Amino acid sequence: MSLLKGLAARTRAIFRPSDAEARLEEEFRFHLESEIDHLIREGVPAADARRQALVAFGAVEGHRESMRDERGARWFDDLRVDVRYALRAMRRHPGFVVAVTLTMGLGIGVNGIIFGFVNSILFRPVPVQQPEELAALFTRDTRTGNTGVFGYDDFIDFRDRSGAFAGVAAMTGGPVNLVVPQSAGNAVGDLVWAEIVTEDFFSVLGARPAIGRFFTAADAPQGGNPFVVLSYDAWQRRFQADPNVAGRVLRINGSEFVVTGVAPRGFKGMRRLGFWPEVWVPIGMQPIVQPGSPGLLHGRGGGALYVVGRLRPGFDVERTEAVAADFARQLEAAYPASNANVGVSVLPAKVGLENPAIIKPQILMLSSALGIFGSLAVLLIICANLAVLQLGRTASRAREIAIRLSLGCSKGRLTRQLLVESLLVSAPGVGLGMAAMNLASPLEPYLTPKLPFPVGFGPTLDLRVMFFTGAISIAAVVFFSLIPAVRAGRSRLVPSSANGLGLGRSDGKRPSRTRKLLVVSQFALSVILLIAASLFVRSMTMADTVNLGFEPRNRVVLSVNVGLQGYDQTRGLQFYDDVLRRVRLLPGVLAASFAYPAPFDTNDRGVRLYVDGLANSRDGTIAAQATFVGDEFIPALGLRLQAGRDFTPRDGAAESLVMIVSDSLANRLWPGKSAIGLRAHYGSVSGPEVTVVGVVADAKFAAVGEVTPRRAYLPLKQRYRDWETLVVHTRDTPARTLANVREVIAALDPSLPPFGAMTMEQAVANGFAASRSGVAIASFFGLLALLIASIGLYAVVARSVVERTREMGVRIALGLTPRGVLAHLMRDGARLGLIGLAFGLAGGLALGRTMTGVLLGLSPADPITFIVVPSALTIVILVATVVPARRAARLDAVAALRSE
Amino acid sequence: MPGHRTAEPDPLRGSIDLLILKALSLEAMHGWGIGARIQQMSRGRLDVNQGSLYPALQRLEHRGDIESAWRTTENNRRARFYTITARGRRELGEELEKWKRFSKTISLIVEG
Repeated sequence: MSLLKGLAARTRAIFRPSDAEARLEEEFRFHLESEIDHLIREGVPAADARRQALVAFGAVEGHRESMRDERGARWFDDLRVDVRYALRAMRRHPGFVVAVTLTMGLGIGVNGIIFGFVNSILFRPVPVQQPEELAALFTRDTRTGNTGVFGYDDFIDFRDRSGAFAGVAAMTGGPVNLVVPQSAGNAVGDLVWAEIVTEDFFSVLGARPAIGRFFTAADAPQGGNPFVVLSYDAWQRRFQADPNVAGRVLRINGSEFVVTGVAPRGFKGMRRLGFWPEVWVPIGMQPIVQPGSPGLLHGRGGGALYVVGRLRPGFDVERTEAVAADFARQLEAAYPASNANVGVSVLPAKVGLENPAIIKPQILMLSSALGIFGSLAVLLIICANLAVLQLGRTASRAREIAIRLSLGCSKGRLTRQLLVESLLVSAPGVGLGMAAMNLASPLEPYLTPKLPFPVGFGPTLDLRVMFFTGAISIAAVVFFSLIPAVRAGRSRLVPSSANGLGLGRSDGKRPSRTRKLLVVSQFALSVILLIAASLFVRSMTMADTVNLGFEPRNRVVLSVNVGLQGYDQTRGLQFYDDVLRRVRLLPGVLAASFAYPAPFDTNDRGVRLYVDGLANSRDGTIAAQATFVGDEFIPALGLRLQAGRDFTPRDGAAESLVMIVSDSLANRLWPGKSAIGLRAHYGSVSGPEVTVVGVVADAKFAAVGEVTPRRAYLPLKQRYRDWETLVVHTRDTPARTLANVREVIAALDPSLPPFGAMTMEQAVANGFAASRSGVAIASFFGLLALLIASIGLYAVVARSVVERTREMGVRIALGLTPRGVLAHLMRDGARLGLIGLAFGLAGGLALGRTMTGVLLGLSPADPITFIVVPSALTIVILVATVVPARRAARLDAVAALRSE
Repeated sequence: MPGHRTAEPDPLRGSIDLLILKALSLEAMHGWGIGARIQQMSRGRLDVNQGSLYPALQRLEHRGDIESAWRTTENNRRARFYTITARGRRELGEELEKWKRFSKTISLIVEG
């Protein structure tokens, strides 16, 4: 007890030194005054008493000093000495400090960003109450095991009668035309993702509205109420965060909806790898939100509803599934026609819903896997590098430490000094890593695929990972800094001047075996990362190096969805005609037409064509990409006509069916013949006959996954589409042209919002963005790893140059040329680098094998990758070794000999 | 590089500690009082440098042998009063034993 109190008193004295000083002054004063009083009482004259008291007390300053000393000022003084000593050491070895700072800074920062990105895809729970209690309910074909989504009637039965869940809700979604009236009277519109949900959706999730209210049971009836809940982002962006947004009116697909509330910040719906909804509407409004899909509010044995439920207390997923499966069998018995073989599957939905039957976007999954692998590899490389850097100093420090120990410095004291030093050395690196926080936002666009609706992964920075990486790397610095102290403690005074000449190979001052091993494995790891990155980049861009086949310059695109607006085919075609007629009259416009999909749209469409006697086909048909276009689309899209003619307004519904094909499609269907005038059938031999009227050059419509540019262009008037992209070739500026086009559309239908307005060049860039996110991650890690590994190699060579200065001096004195010195010193470093490279290449080949499935048309042993990566690395190795070695080559022999 | 401080207290330091603990074993006192008591107990024969009491007091407090707190004296003045702790009493007992043995040994040698 009293020991503790004593400790407390000491601690107080250390951390509140001014308190201790004040107390001391008061005590001294009290003592002297008491003594003076005492002396006066004894009869000493007042004038003498003070002097006598002071004499009896002794040297005030001396006592004060010895108290301060005892109090722990000494502890601080020592610390100050340690810090000063460490700073001096850092100033003497700026290279070491820079290397540690770069290693830690890059590692902490990049790991924080990348892992945050991966984390938000794979592991972040949906921001609702107890997300671990959520589960998804899918139908499961009891014969094939395939999972699917629910029909409305089955869902209602499950909700009301199965007892499997504490609460259960359903959702389905799609794009809608959203128009927000502005105060000025005009309106701003866009195509956005809408989620159609059952009225209890938010209450099952346990989400609280940021503003207003969510749906209630009163919103349930079929044909329900035109209410809408906004996402937090939509509220911020489209309603300028209006606090009185509840009650405001907006238009969805032309119909008025009233805003009831705003979803909580960060809530992006329940889709794990899907679009972020901007609006939620009650399921009763489905006929307006999805005019093209009637009958969604009925049906059994499968449908369009994703179902999410909250587990009952005490139920786990297995038990819930057992109960649900029981109920599914009851439904099967009751409705054998629709529900035969319809079982269920219950899956945890903590991080969101995902139909396991739908293949996950491979790029995202691959990016994530790469991210995790990269993160771990970078962490390893960081630690290895810090070890290399610290061990590099061990040899030179061992002597210094031995001397200090023999002079009576205690081991604890020494340890503390090394600790202070390593913490100081780590500080700037940690700071640099933290500064990466500012990079997270600007980097996000490169990591997030561009799709027609917002998808995203939220804040990409993960503080926990940054903290983790930071802590691990500081621990590494500290750990390896203490090695010399431990070693010195063991071997006492051995590392003396015994090998002062520094000659020979057994002097223990060449890079240690551990250090060599570390450098080699670091290089191997970064080579593997680089190869993965390169394979990834190559597979994404292999096909992109060729020309696009169309001219993207001086073109703008802008899309409309008239189907959502309730247009039928007649009205839709009339609208398209009106738009084209008016747009072609706008100033500067050279050509305009419709296309869907337009080049570098994210969607694509296909068509099956039958040709008599088609080679290499089981049933005489092949699949081709299809684009549904307006008349005179060839100049509008900037395609090149090879033969035949463009579509004209006369290629109408009443005429015989026509199509224009790409070179590749023509060659596939009729090898070696001119395709003009030849005939194919849609779908099969019994399908409608279609005549080729033109052939255009192959064009690239998508960045990813397009293995064949076989494409058929079909006239809108014969194959109607209600979602089209207007492509305008213009001499005017894109901004002015788009404004003019918007005016034309607003004049024709003020409640129809055009969306996706951009230049064709932007569209092309966006098309590549999806793959770019994976490429960005891969390249990030590859380059980062390489950089760090190079720092390590540089450090090793630089270190050995310093350590062998005397040896080199002797060699120079004995006639070795500077060239010889250079070669001599480079040999060691280069050997390490090359061994690492060899191991890395082997590992890279193995990794490439496992990536085979996702490399689009690329051999895992891609020769370019396996030539470029090693050559690039060889250059890096050379630079990392030449730079420090050159310094040695310039040595003055005499100075070098005196260097110790 | 300053050498490591030795753990063994020098004889004077040790005896001051002993005297302080002895003085405080009777009652709580302030610094001047302790000095006066030591003088009185030694019947004026031991002339300790008064100021050197204070580093010793601080050391004893940090060691947990004594405690201190502000109190008012009979003259109504604020002073720091020191109290011996249980640990301090144990320490005093052991030190006294040691001291007695030590002085006996010395007497044996010197007088013998």
